[in-house]
Amino acid sequence: MAKRVAIDIGGTFTDFVSLDEATSAVTLGKELTTPANFADGVTHTIEKSGLDTTEFRQFVHGTTVVINALTERKGAKVALITTKGFCDVLEIQRANRTGMYNLFYRKPEPFVPRRFRFEVRERLDYRGEVLQPLVEEDVVAAVEECKKAGIEAIAVCYIHAYANHAHERRTREIINELYPEAAVTLSHEITQEWREYERTNTTVMNAYVQPAAELYLTTLEEKLSGMGAGCTKYAMQSNGGTTAFAHARRVPIHLVESGPVGGVIGAEAIARVVGEKSVIAFDMGGTTAKVSLIDDGRVKINTDYHLEKTTTWAGYPLKIPVVDIVEVGAGGGSIAWIDQGGALHVGPRSAGADPGPACYDLGGTEPTVTDANLLTGRLNPDYFLGGEMRLNVEKAEAAVRKIAEPFDLSLLDAALGILRLANANMQAALERVSIERGYDPRDFTLVAYGGAGGLHGAWLARELRMRKVIVPNAPGQFSAWGMLMTNLRHDFIRTRVIPCDSSRLDYIVSSFSALEEEARAQFEEEGFPLSRVVIERFLDLRYKGQEHTVRTPVPKDVLKSGDLEKVISTFHELHEQAYSFRQDDPVEIVNFHLVGWGTVDKPPLQPIANSGRDLGRALKGERLVHFEGVGPTQSKVYERSLIPLETPLLGPAIIEEPACTTVVYPEQQVQVDRFGNLVITEVGG
Amino acid sequence: MSPKRSIDPFTVEVIKRALISAAEQMFAAFGRTSKSSVIYEVLDYGCAITDDKARMIAQANGIPPFIGVLTDAVQEVIDKFGLDGLDEGDIIILNDPYMGGATHQNDVVLVMPVFYKGRPIMFAANKGHWNDIGGKDPGSWSPSATDIYQEGIQFPAVRLFRKGEEVRDIVDIIARNGRIPEMTLGDMRAQAASLQVAADRIVKVCDKYGLDTVLESIEVYLEQGRQEALEELKKLPKGEFTAEEYIDDDGLGGDPVLVKVKVTITDDRFVVDYTGTAKTCRGPINAPLSALKSTAKFAYKAVVSPHGDANEGFFAPLEVIVPEDTVFNPKRPAPISTYWESDSYAGDIIWKALADVMPDRITAGHFLSVCGTIVSGIDDRTGEWFFSVEPNAGGWGAGKGKDGESGLVCSGDGETYVLSIEVAETRYPLVVDQFALNIADGGHGQWRGGFGLVKDYRITNSQAFVTASFGRNKFPPWGLAGGMDGTPNLVEVRKTDGTVERRGRFSNEVLHRGDVVRFITGMGGGYGDPRKRDPQAVLNDVLDGYVTRETAERVYGVAITGEPPQIDEKRTQRLRGG
Repeated sequence: MAKRVAIDIGGTFTDFVSLDEATSAVTLGKELTTPANFADGVTHTIEKSGLDTTEFRQFVHGTTVVINALTERKGAKVALITTKGFCDVLEIQRANRTGMYNLFYRKPEPFVPRRFRFEVRERLDYRGEVLQPLVEEDVVAAVEECKKAGIEAIAVCYIHAYANHAHERRTREIINELYPEAAVTLSHEITQEWREYERTNTTVMNAYVQPAAELYLTTLEEKLSGMGAGCTKYAMQSNGGTTAFAHARRVPIHLVESGPVGGVIGAEAIARVVGEKSVIAFDMGGTTAKVSLIDDGRVKINTDYHLEKTTTWAGYPLKIPVVDIVEVGAGGGSIAWIDQGGALHVGPRSAGADPGPACYDLGGTEPTVTDANLLTGRLNPDYFLGGEMRLNVEKAEAAVRKIAEPFDLSLLDAALGILRLANANMQAALERVSIERGYDPRDFTLVAYGGAGGLHGAWLARELRMRKVIVPNAPGQFSAWGMLMTNLRHDFIRTRVIPCDSSRLDYIVSSFSALEEEARAQFEEEGFPLSRVVIERFLDLRYKGQEHTVRTPVPKDVLKSGDLEKVISTFHELHEQAYSFRQDDPVEIVNFHLVGWGTVDKPPLQPIANSGRDLGRALKGERLVHFEGVGPTQSKVYERSLIPLETPLLGPAIIEEPACTTVVYPEQQVQVDRFGNLVITEVGG
Repeated sequence: MSPKRSIDPFTVEVIKRALISAAEQMFAAFGRTSKSSVIYEVLDYGCAITDDKARMIAQANGIPPFIGVLTDAVQEVIDKFGLDGLDEGDIIILNDPYMGGATHQNDVVLVMPVFYKGRPIMFAANKGHWNDIGGKDPGSWSPSATDIYQEGIQFPAVRLFRKGEEVRDIVDIIARNGRIPEMTLGDMRAQAASLQVAADRIVKVCDKYGLDTVLESIEVYLEQGRQEALEELKKLPKGEFTAEEYIDDDGLGGDPVLVKVKVTITDDRFVVDYTGTAKTCRGPINAPLSALKSTAKFAYKAVVSPHGDANEGFFAPLEVIVPEDTVFNPKRPAPISTYWESDSYAGDIIWKALADVMPDRITAGHFLSVCGTIVSGIDDRTGEWFFSVEPNAGGWGAGKGKDGESGLVCSGDGETYVLSIEVAETRYPLVVDQFALNIADGGHGQWRGGFGLVKDYRITNSQAFVTASFGRNKFPPWGLAGGMDGTPNLVEVRKTDGTVERRGRFSNEVLHRGDVVRFITGMGGGYGDPRKRDPQAVLNDVLDGYVTRETAERVYGVAITGEPPQIDEKRTQRLRGG
């Protein structure tokens, strides 16, 4: 009865999902997150599930430990050792003024103050050739200063170190010798893409979180093993794959978006099973909504991630592969408010989980999206969290009155209006990942999940004329479920700017071979069987003289046949898709990118049984639901788990399940597919 | 608060969002499909939607001084053709700096009427920097131009598209009047196509909500913009406020150029009057009237309400008065192609005039100049031309409660990135010896000005050329409320023969292997008496190497002793006369 188990710690809840490898049976759990002690939260959740830990075959963990250390500024005391002339790179950054009308703009404060940024004499050129050998006395002097200051972690980042690692490696040797207590992060072990500020900041941030992450992962590993879970433990990485705890301890910065990517991988897995190639994952929770576009079955990864970036603040770049997710401040807890010009807004301020929406009756008095969903009949006050929490309609009314009264609107119209504004914000996010990047949303299916995904998915899909909406099973725990669908993944990206033509074929082949060696070494270190490693190769290509690169797949046979033209013609196509034009100019390589997949057997998603499902029992009754432009409409209310499979039901309808509610609009229909997903389509559409 | 009306506030907001998003999608489409890094990296372009009276409804800007500039261009189109004289699918091209909506010729404006059910209801307009539109020098803009004819071809609002078809005659003229026609035409078509993106979106919104509802919503939210501005104006001190400054020279090395402003604030007006400003200059630092007006809009927005959307209603209280034949409203055919060298002062003096009375809204003066540089030559490695064109970042002023920012692009730039060293060294035959804060002695105050930068490019090619225009090289950024002035911007050319030349401007200076050009940007002004600075902050400055112990004692009155450094409380008290 071997089991695959995932635990995803989120801001509010810790989700638990286990999957029986033989029967595909799923066990779910949800507990409040325990910020004071995450590791205990994990073990507690497992204990509560009643599962036998010795049966765990694989354990996957999504954790907020890294993002929390960064956003709460609770990391280690870090120093930076860098090339002479460049200690201020971390402070200069890219010098952009993101808040361009704001005279009081504040740049992101570097995570290492100037006094702990040490310069040493050494210099490489862009090809990695040594212009100035490393002056070891300078390193010694810097390390002595670090020791005196009680520095806990040292980041080392030299100019062009991605092209030659020798100086960084020698520096680590010196640090280890003189100050073995300090944790060391070398830039080339985190990222080998050019751009010194982005590389330096990424290196510094890894150093900043590394001691805390190491402690956490070590503690958790011991606790789990102590409970009898002897299986390998994996951490969910931002690149959509997993890695062994042992590796994550060294480069924890890869866990920065550990939680949210699980859902995107889950959406991709669902899409594959139901035969949809192009989907948009839509995750709506308490404070934000996150969307990610999956094109032709491929989750999009890039290295343009920024921590804390907003439309008016530059944030901090992390040059690591992260699933491309766009986030907007629209969640169940988002607050509606009126500005001094008299215009209405919803979000980005959120009531969060505490005090939460007014209807939670926990002290919140501001009108939120959840309050609006309640007043318009979408939510059932007696069946929230399966009835564990009663929603207070009067409190919701009192809150929404703050919007209704100044405009002399009815409570219902105000509530509907709040939903329309929240939807408009999320629609903008969906347009950003699709229309603004050259995709037509009509070619896509929306996979809606998260606590509030089902409430809003149908409207968004209709507005963007998307083909259908899929609301998967247990949408509230979908990110954790997605983690069970993952493989191990390691990305190896190297900047080498050279022409992409056949005269460079030998160099291209040997560069990929070197990366492949590294990938295999990585898997070996993790004890993962090489026979199950699958390699994918990409080149980031561009037209000479241009800046935009396009990640272009390199089929393995190309390296054998030497047929680079094939790659170049794919590049032309992809470039035209993304940027609407192609050129006759020479093509240039910027980055080599190799992905090593450690493939894991996953039990296939099993069709579910129709037995016990009955339309009569599923129909719980009717209630008035208010739809914009239609008015109050009697709508059938169904219990999700009882709806017979593959039986189309006409909207308007409300589908309830303990943790979530799905709204089906008039002139839409919904059915439960063989796997238990809700599938919503337009009638006649 | 909000007047009752027939249309509900949510519909207004949803329509407003949709129109803003139409402008943003035009912006994204233009950036995405352009072939020029000046568009997609420097973001030297802007997009706007206006109504049929040329009132700004929505805008997306890459750089702040483009805010509101396109409305004048739409007005020119309406004046010239009349609403009845335009057909669906027409696109008008305009870059004549002596017409409305233009900045310099490189910034080419396209305007398209958006038709709904057979009549023009709105306009989509955008402006993008074209790399080369002819003129005497490659790249068209020239620090040494003496009239506008040397600065490129002029388009006086003529049809580029007629009923959806390119006007071949005009396109042929464009192709023949620039040095890189293929790229220019590619970008021109990307720019034109992005107008259609906005138009399609506007038509969809009208289909969904009905034209009347859309038009009524626009009236409501322009009024909301006006109310927002009026609410903020209420909070501002009332009265007349003046400031003046000198620009280094007239662009060709002449005398300093006086610029003056009087700002009058009442409950419902914000009047900016530049009377007293110097005459039209000989050199190309004159600012065309539209550029000047939009810079005043930017300065007004930064003071009144930097966050949130701006529309015509928001700008309704603003009036800009500029006498004719001045550097801020020059007379044809005076050259204008480096207009930002004066234009940025138009905003700076508004802030300077108001800073004393609005310390919670305005910070001390900043390094101000774009500090644009061009390093070029024929790369020995490839035999091909290389061009490195970039702005330089510098120090910003301190404000009440905050130190100035170090190494930030100037007010005329926005989401503009400085070039990465690693990228520069890969692309161009040069080595960067340092890229560091310029720890200068200036900008002291209770809150300290931010630091400028110092960057050394050492040429590794047999020959290279350097052009640099660093304004504010004589008159440093102003301090505020007793804070000290910052320091000026400067360029140094250090040759292997030991000679060093220091100036604000270089034009095609010839360098050889081993020569170094050093770009130095200034510190921002300080805020408040340095002797009131928190001694702990001074100690931190010493620890971080921002301030020497000597300066700490002399300027800040804080005695720092020992190792590790600490505050000598007693001596500090004595020094501060306490």
